[in-house]
Amino acid sequence: MKILAIETTGKYGSAAVIDEEGRIWSAESREEMNHLRGIISLIDEALGSAGITKNDLTHIAASIGPGSFTGIRIGVTTARTMAQMLGVPCIAVSSIEALAEGSLSAAISANALYVVPIINARRHQTYGAIYEAEFTSDYEHQALNLISEEKQYMIEELLEKLGGNESYFTGDGIDAYKDIIESALPEGTYKFAGEDMRYQSAESVAVIALKKAKIGDTLTYDKLMPEYMRLAEAEQRLRAGTLSDRIKNPKV
Amino acid sequence: MKDGKFLTLGIETSCDETAASVVADGRFMMSNIISSQIDIHTAYGGVVPEIASRKHLECINDVIERALKEADVSVKDIDLIGVTYGPGLVGALLIGVAAAKAMAYAADIPLIGVNHMHGHIAANYLEHHELEPPFMALVVSGGHTEIVNVPSYNSCEKLGGTRDDAAGEAFDKVARVIGLGYPGGPKIDKAAKEGNPEAIAFKRVYLEPGSLDFSFSGLKTQALNYLNSEKQAGREINVNDVAASFQEAVVEVIADKAVDAAVRYDQKRIVMAGGVASNSRLRALISAKASARGIDVLKPSPVLCTDNGAMIASAAYYAYKSGERTDYELDAVPGLEF
Repeated sequence: MKILAIETTGKYGSAAVIDEEGRIWSAESREEMNHLRGIISLIDEALGSAGITKNDLTHIAASIGPGSFTGIRIGVTTARTMAQMLGVPCIAVSSIEALAEGSLSAAISANALYVVPIINARRHQTYGAIYEAEFTSDYEHQALNLISEEKQYMIEELLEKLGGNESYFTGDGIDAYKDIIESALPEGTYKFAGEDMRYQSAESVAVIALKKAKIGDTLTYDKLMPEYMRLAEAEQRLRAGTLSDRIKNPKV
Repeated sequence: MKDGKFLTLGIETSCDETAASVVADGRFMMSNIISSQIDIHTAYGGVVPEIASRKHLECINDVIERALKEADVSVKDIDLIGVTYGPGLVGALLIGVAAAKAMAYAADIPLIGVNHMHGHIAANYLEHHELEPPFMALVVSGGHTEIVNVPSYNSCEKLGGTRDDAAGEAFDKVARVIGLGYPGGPKIDKAAKEGNPEAIAFKRVYLEPGSLDFSFSGLKTQALNYLNSEKQAGREINVNDVAASFQEAVVEVIADKAVDAAVRYDQKRIVMAGGVASNSRLRALISAKASARGIDVLKPSPVLCTDNGAMIASAAYYAYKSGERTDYELDAVPGLEF
């Protein structure tokens, strides 16, 4: 089993290869939002480090969002098309779950009960979830247990759900809402992932993809779809009946 | 290669059509799949970029699959991939570019990034198999109104363009105001057939003498003012007459300048391209004016005037044959110049 994982929903694009034993080889862009230009060379670099070629791949996984709409589309389109051409299945990975996965060990080390991935969705909104960090006393077994579903929250609403329990935050929502979190939560009940761990990474996508591949949770390329978690603005307005009069009534 | 033919797959997603096509030897269309989003955007009165981008993603792989299937070829037979990388809507362009790059990489096929406007001109190579440069090209679409000298396959020299609105844009705006809706071009064309082109004296804007540039914003304003004053005076507006008169003012200037450019550059052919090239009045007028000067006018059939993958394949083929190559760093360039 050789899975290629693609992550382009956050600031920095990355690609990773994971094998059946969980060994990972990865490549990450140092340029912000360079997804379209950089994606193929990142993939090529990750395959090269793993010592394999694209024809050895058994699955293509993509982080399907939420996150940057444009970024999501670049990763999902690349994954779909590579899978279509190579004749291999796809695996859909949530960017929120991947963020939580990437911070699980750090959260456990920090004695946090909850792992809270938050992706900046602007105007006090965040795409996020709350996970409980599960682990055995010898730390051999670690797992995420979903407490509050992945969706779009108002940041204040999400913070209330923590009930004062010790929480480990990760994701670029920290950059946007650090002040709000610090003023809303009792001191000592929260920690923030460091800047080197805070952003989406293909390595975490690969870890989740491997678990999914092992239980056969795969898709044909045409079924791999983005998870934007939000309608296009014009569609929101159309549904709410607030599209401008000029469009609804062209004679005005 | 299949049966000794060099096969190019062309991919086009610059606006609201997801399209792919297989073309043999740069000239012969083996398939031409176009998935249009017009019905979706009609509810919004125009193309909504975010919705267009989402729809492109959902369609692109199926469109590629159908283009291969209809041409009865497999990915292994494809020798070259051509893809539009600009100009256009950035979110729409990047779906085609991402798919083309992933396909080129996964299937080891050379890649060429194509300028959408060069593609429109190349549509004529698919329609007129003997056509070779040099010729004068007139590119008229929703975003462009340009006169382009084409001395050889891979060079385009822009002689003039619009200083404000493109012809198609002006059509869309006026169509919306007189209640014809979107897309404006075809609807104005249709309504104009029932109207009198001399009913309203809209101005012809030629700019300074000798200029091959265009300006349609003043004409658009004149049309809006006319509609307002008629409304205030309580007079009923004859939609067909407005459409015919407005259309005539637009196409007469375009036809005159295109013929003028051909005469000045001693070109014996004018090649039309772009969505507005299928406007029936423009076609008729330019043909009449050109033939009076001994100039031939070539036009692609309407299906090749709209955005399509075949024209991109043809342009990519000639770029490839001249030694051009595009690497995997290819980016979408929404404001790509001619």
